[in-house]
Amino acid sequence: MGSVGTNEIRIGMKVEIDREPYLIIANEFVKPGKGQAFNRIKVKNMKTSRVVEKTYKSGEKIELADVEERQMRFSYKESDGAVFMDDQTFDQITIQNQLLGDRGQWLKEDALFEIIFYKGEPIDIIPPTFMEMKVTETAPGIRGDTASGRVMKPATTETGAKVQVPIFVEEGERIKVDTRTCEYVSRVNA
Amino acid sequence: MLKIRAQKLQEARRFFETRNVLEVDCGALVKRAPLDPNIDCLPVEEAFLHTSPEYALKKLLAKGIGDCYFLGHVYRKEELGSLHNPEFTMVEWYRLGFTLSQMIQETAAFLSIFVGELPVQILSYRTAFEKFLDIDYREVPLQILQNLAQNDTWSRRDCLHYLLSQKIEPHLGRNTLTALTSFPASEAALAKTAIVDGEEVSLRFEIYYEGIELANGYHELSDASIIKERFQKTNKAREQAGKTPYLLDENFLASLDKLPDCSGVALGFDRALMLHLKLPSIQYVLPWGLPFLDNRDDTTFIQRFGSHPKTDGGLTPLEFCCMNSSDDRANKI
Repeated sequence: MGSVGTNEIRIGMKVEIDREPYLIIANEFVKPGKGQAFNRIKVKNMKTSRVVEKTYKSGEKIELADVEERQMRFSYKESDGAVFMDDQTFDQITIQNQLLGDRGQWLKEDALFEIIFYKGEPIDIIPPTFMEMKVTETAPGIRGDTASGRVMKPATTETGAKVQVPIFVEEGERIKVDTRTCEYVSRVNA
Repeated sequence: MLKIRAQKLQEARRFFETRNVLEVDCGALVKRAPLDPNIDCLPVEEAFLHTSPEYALKKLLAKGIGDCYFLGHVYRKEELGSLHNPEFTMVEWYRLGFTLSQMIQETAAFLSIFVGELPVQILSYRTAFEKFLDIDYREVPLQILQNLAQNDTWSRRDCLHYLLSQKIEPHLGRNTLTALTSFPASEAALAKTAIVDGEEVSLRFEIYYEGIELANGYHELSDASIIKERFQKTNKAREQAGKTPYLLDENFLASLDKLPDCSGVALGFDRALMLHLKLPSIQYVLPWGLPFLDNRDDTTFIQRFGSHPKTDGGLTPLEFCCMNSSDDRANKI
């Protein structure tokens, strides 16, 4: 991979620092009156999500990270992970349970995920921001106390996600969920 | 914002008029680049855009024009950030016979146009390092400086620049104007040096408000041979840093022996205006700044600086600046 000079730094760039891939989330040009100029950047480790600050002298080079993003479709679950497939190349890949983490609750057949590869190895998976899914388990709604605004109750969806839904939502209904916040968005008409 | 900017430009000019300081309109295009280890010029076909009007004004001072100021645009290559822009507005003025402390007082008086009357705290470079980092910058081993700067490849000077800008400046000028003085002799640029408490220091100051550097002043050195020596050292430093050395402005050097005893200061007009309007970046007070380019398309701005913070009124600073001044929210400021 190439490298960039400090004046080319942009938020959203992926760089390699100490052999780890980082995403640039903030960049500040600092220069004391008559002194050396610096760029102070805030970066997020793409594997661990840990955020650190780094400072470079202006003119120093930063290595770009060999990061690739691919859209891949969820196929099926195995005991040690989940299998995804690339629609174009038919490449298949198994994402280990450890990497899946709590994203496992969004594994819905045929859903298109974004998979981040660093040097060819998957390091992160991102589900679609909004997903539609069936409510498989929730207590029946109790009529009455709706005056105080939206009253919510717990529900479980077909993918195993636990979401708070309004009391009028019933088992078997389809709902739209924001996967970033794990929040109910709306009912989906069949 | 445009109206307030225009009003402050007028007030700035009135400030000098009442003090009998002559406005001089220096050309921006210069044959020889102003020399500094860390400031680069934008080149224009065998010439440069000036990074400050210092040489031009000093040549005129040597010819006897007396107290004078420049209020206009200067240009610095690759300086872009919330407090920097390649084209910005500088106020630079010279006062015959002024001592450094008189110059500090007058700079504070000028800044009152923007931030109101404030007390001035004087702090020496050495005391600042003692106070905020608990080190004596002259004696501290390089390794400790590098540890403090969290970088084991930087030179002593780089570390000091870093620590000053990151660990000291943010504390300066809180509810007061802080004048940082007595910089090391190696940071004298075009200022005189003197022995203070057994240490050779620069007769130079910088003024801070709210952690932001606003002005840089000198008791001006008129010894051409010392300045030439410093220039040659500067060019060597530029070469070592992989920068182009610049040809010396021999006319400027030749004029120096006639330079009267004077002090001078250069002040960032846009930063002062930004503080007046309580905005987080000078980009919002430059009618040619990033948020105002590209038909107010914010993409470039956001890539550089992240999203817009919100002002007290719940508006982004850009919305705030672009607001019609008839809007009553604009009258709050």
